[in-house]
Amino acid sequence: MIRIKIDGEETLVEAGTTVLDAARGLGREIPTLCFDDRQDAFGACRVCLVGIEGAPGPMASCTTPVRDGMKVDTLDPASRRVATAVVELVLSELPRPPAEHTELAQISRMLDVGTPRWPGEQHDVKKHDESHPYLAFHHELCISCGRCVRACDEVQGTFALTATGRGFGANVAAGLDEGFRASACVSCGACADTCPTDAITEMSLLQLADPEPVR
Amino acid sequence: MDKQPAREDDWVVVSRNLVELVRRHHEQGAPTALDVLKEAMDQNGEITDDDRRLAAERSGLPEATVHGVSTFYEDLLVPRGRRHVRVCTGTACFAATGDAHVDELAGGLGLSLGERSDDGSLSLAETVCLGYCHASPAVRDGDVIDAGPDAIERVLADAAKPAPEPLVESLLDEPVLIRTGDWSGLRKALAETTPELLLEEVKAAEVRGRGGAGFPAGAKWEFARNAEGEPKFIVANGDEGDPGSYIDKVLMEDNPHLFLEGMALAGFAVGASHGFVLVRSEYPRSKPELEDAIFHAHTEGLLGEDILGSGFSFDITVIEGAGSYVVGEETALLACLQGLRGTVSARPPFPAQRGLHGLPTVVNNIETLANIPFIASHGAEAYRALSPGATAGTKLVCFNERFERPGAFEVPFGMTVRELCEDVAGGMRDGRSVKAVQIGGPLGGILPASRLDAVFDFEPLVAEGCMVGHGGIVAFDDRTDMRDVARHLLHFGADESCGKCFPCRIGLRRAHEMFVSNAPVERVSLEELLEALELGSLCAHGSGMPAPIRSLLAHFPEELGLA
Repeated sequence: MIRIKIDGEETLVEAGTTVLDAARGLGREIPTLCFDDRQDAFGACRVCLVGIEGAPGPMASCTTPVRDGMKVDTLDPASRRVATAVVELVLSELPRPPAEHTELAQISRMLDVGTPRWPGEQHDVKKHDESHPYLAFHHELCISCGRCVRACDEVQGTFALTATGRGFGANVAAGLDEGFRASACVSCGACADTCPTDAITEMSLLQLADPEPVR
Repeated sequence: MDKQPAREDDWVVVSRNLVELVRRHHEQGAPTALDVLKEAMDQNGEITDDDRRLAAERSGLPEATVHGVSTFYEDLLVPRGRRHVRVCTGTACFAATGDAHVDELAGGLGLSLGERSDDGSLSLAETVCLGYCHASPAVRDGDVIDAGPDAIERVLADAAKPAPEPLVESLLDEPVLIRTGDWSGLRKALAETTPELLLEEVKAAEVRGRGGAGFPAGAKWEFARNAEGEPKFIVANGDEGDPGSYIDKVLMEDNPHLFLEGMALAGFAVGASHGFVLVRSEYPRSKPELEDAIFHAHTEGLLGEDILGSGFSFDITVIEGAGSYVVGEETALLACLQGLRGTVSARPPFPAQRGLHGLPTVVNNIETLANIPFIASHGAEAYRALSPGATAGTKLVCFNERFERPGAFEVPFGMTVRELCEDVAGGMRDGRSVKAVQIGGPLGGILPASRLDAVFDFEPLVAEGCMVGHGGIVAFDDRTDMRDVARHLLHFGADESCGKCFPCRIGLRRAHEMFVSNAPVERVSLEELLEALELGSLCAHGSGMPAPIRSLLAHFPEELGLA
C-alpha cells in the first residue's frame, strides 16, 4: 500500500492507483471532461490538474500514479487557473453553449468560468447526422474528448467511431464519416451515454431537449 | 466499474484493442493502414473511400480507424496533381525571405497553397521543413529539392535542380559524430564485453538524449532491459521535424552506418533483436540511403542473424512517416510506426515499459545513437572528457542560410552562442547583423543579439529561457519584423498540434489568431493563454510553444503591437 497526503489528509491506497481515484476516494471534487471511470484514462482535457509537492507544475491527476509520501493539493491555484482557462477555451470553440444538464456545463459552473478571454473561430455547423434511428450526432458540439471513441472500442468493441482531423480541426466520425447508419454501429448507445456535451445523443433525449421536432 | 488496472505497468498507450489488432496483423506480414494509404496517395494523388476500405481490409484495422488515420497526416490531406510542388515554410526559409518566396511561387504557378489545378496537372502544398536550411528558400518539385535565391525562378521555369548539400565539419581533432561509421564499436563490444557491461559504460558516459529532452540514454536502456515483456525493440527517432534543423538528415543520409551501429549496440545492451528507424517523408533521400546502408551491413555480416558469430542477432527496418511534427514525440512516433494516428499519449506508461506493439521499447534520437559507437570503442571516461566541465560528449549544431558559413558542425558543449555564430558560422552574410537567434527548434526560446554570450549547454540556455533542443540555430537578421516571427511560429504551432490535448488544440489556434490580424495584442490575456499552454499541455509541443513567444515579449515588446 502507498501512503499519500491529499489536501493534508493522509490516506492509504493501492500501488497503481491514480491521484484522481485516490482524491475522489476521499471525497475531493476534481473536475474532469475526458475522464470516464469505465474507460482507460486518456489525459487529453487537462482539467483534472492538481498540485503535487516537488512537481515542476500542475499534473493531470487522471494519468499520474500515486507515489509513496506524495503530497497532493487538489485546489492548487495554478492548477485551477489553468483548468479554468482550458474550459474557457473549450466553450469558445462551440457555436452555442452546451445544454445546462451536460457535464461540460456542470464543470463550467463548478469552475465559475466567465466570458471567454480568447474568442475566435468556432466549429462549423455541418449537416447533423440524424440518419440513425436512435442516435444523433451534432459535430459542432464535439470537444474531441475521445470518450465516445473509447466507449465504442473498450466497452462495446465495435470500433464504429474514430477521432478525425488534427489540431483545431479535430473531431469525431462514425465509420468513413458517412454517419452512424452506414457505420459499423450496433446501436448500443455507449457513446451517447458518455458524451459530456450532447454532441452525440439518443434520439429520445434529443427530442426532450430540443423544442423542434426531430425529422 | 473501475477499469484502471491496479498494476501501473498495465496502463495503456493508445487503445489496447487497436495495438493488439496491429500486432497480430504485423506478425502476419500485413502492411499498416498508413502504408496502404500512402501508396494510394502516391498513385492517385488523393484518397477515396474505396482506398480507405482497401486499407482497412489489408491492414486488418476497422474502417473508422483508417478514416481517422487518413485525416491526420499532412501527406494524405493535400490533393496532388501529376506535378506536385511543395514549398518549404520552415523558419530558415521564413528568415531568408519573410515568406516572399511562398507568394512568388504561388503567384507564378497560379495556385494557392493546398490547391490542385482543375485539369489535375499541377498542385501546390506547404511543407515544413525540407532540411535545406543552409540554402533557403527550398522547394520540392516532385522528388527534386531545389534551394537557394534562384530556386523559385527555376521551379517556375520547370527546371528545378538538386540543391547543394550542406557543409559538414567537426571542430574536434578526432570527431565523434562526423566520421564514417566503421562498426568497430560493435565488433569490440561483441568480442570483449557483455550487454550488462556495455549498459554500465553507457550509463557512466552520461549520454543525454540529443532530441531535445536531454534524458539520460543509459537510464532509458536500463528501464527497457529490466521491463517485463518480449521481444523488446530499439526505435531510432529520425523524425527531425524542427524547422531550421538538418542534423539528423546529415547523419542519416551522409553517414548512416554510425547510428545504425549505435542501434545494434543498443539492441545488444537492452536485449532487443529488432530495430526500427522512423524517417521523415520530407527527406526523400533518407529511406533509400538507409536501406542501402542496412543492405551493405548485412552483406558484411554486421546486421542479421548471429552477427560476427557472436550469437547476437539484430535487424533494422526503415519506415517513412507522412508529415506530422508531433510524431517526433516518442509516444506519437510509436503510434505512427504502427500506422495509427500520430497523437501523443500520456506517460506513464513510458515506451520502455509499453512501447511498440505494447512491448518494451527504447526510443532514441538519431544523434544520441550516433554517440554510442565512440563509447563502445573508447569508454565512458574518454567520452566525458570531450567537453570538459560541461555536458558529456559533443553536439552537432547547424546554421541557417543567413550565416556566412551555414552548415552542420560538431562542437564541444560549453562554447558561447557568440563563438558558434561568429567563429564557427562566420557571422551574418551580406553585411547584415544578427537581430536574434532561435536555438533548438520552434519550441526553443529566442536570444537577442545582446545576449549571445550565453553558454551553449543545457542548463545555461535554460537560464536564458532557451534550450539546446535539437541544435538548430536560426538567425534573424536586422530586417526581421519580430511580430512576423511570432505569427510565423504560432502558425506552425497551431498547424502541427496533434489535436489531442485541449490547451494545445484550442490555445495555439487562439494565440495564432491574436497575431494574425493587425489588431493590438492584449498582453495580459496573451500571458494568461501562454500560462495555460505551458502548464496544461500534454506534451512539449503545447508546453514549449510559449517559450519563443515569451522571449519576444521580454526582448522585443515594442515590436509586437501590444496593448
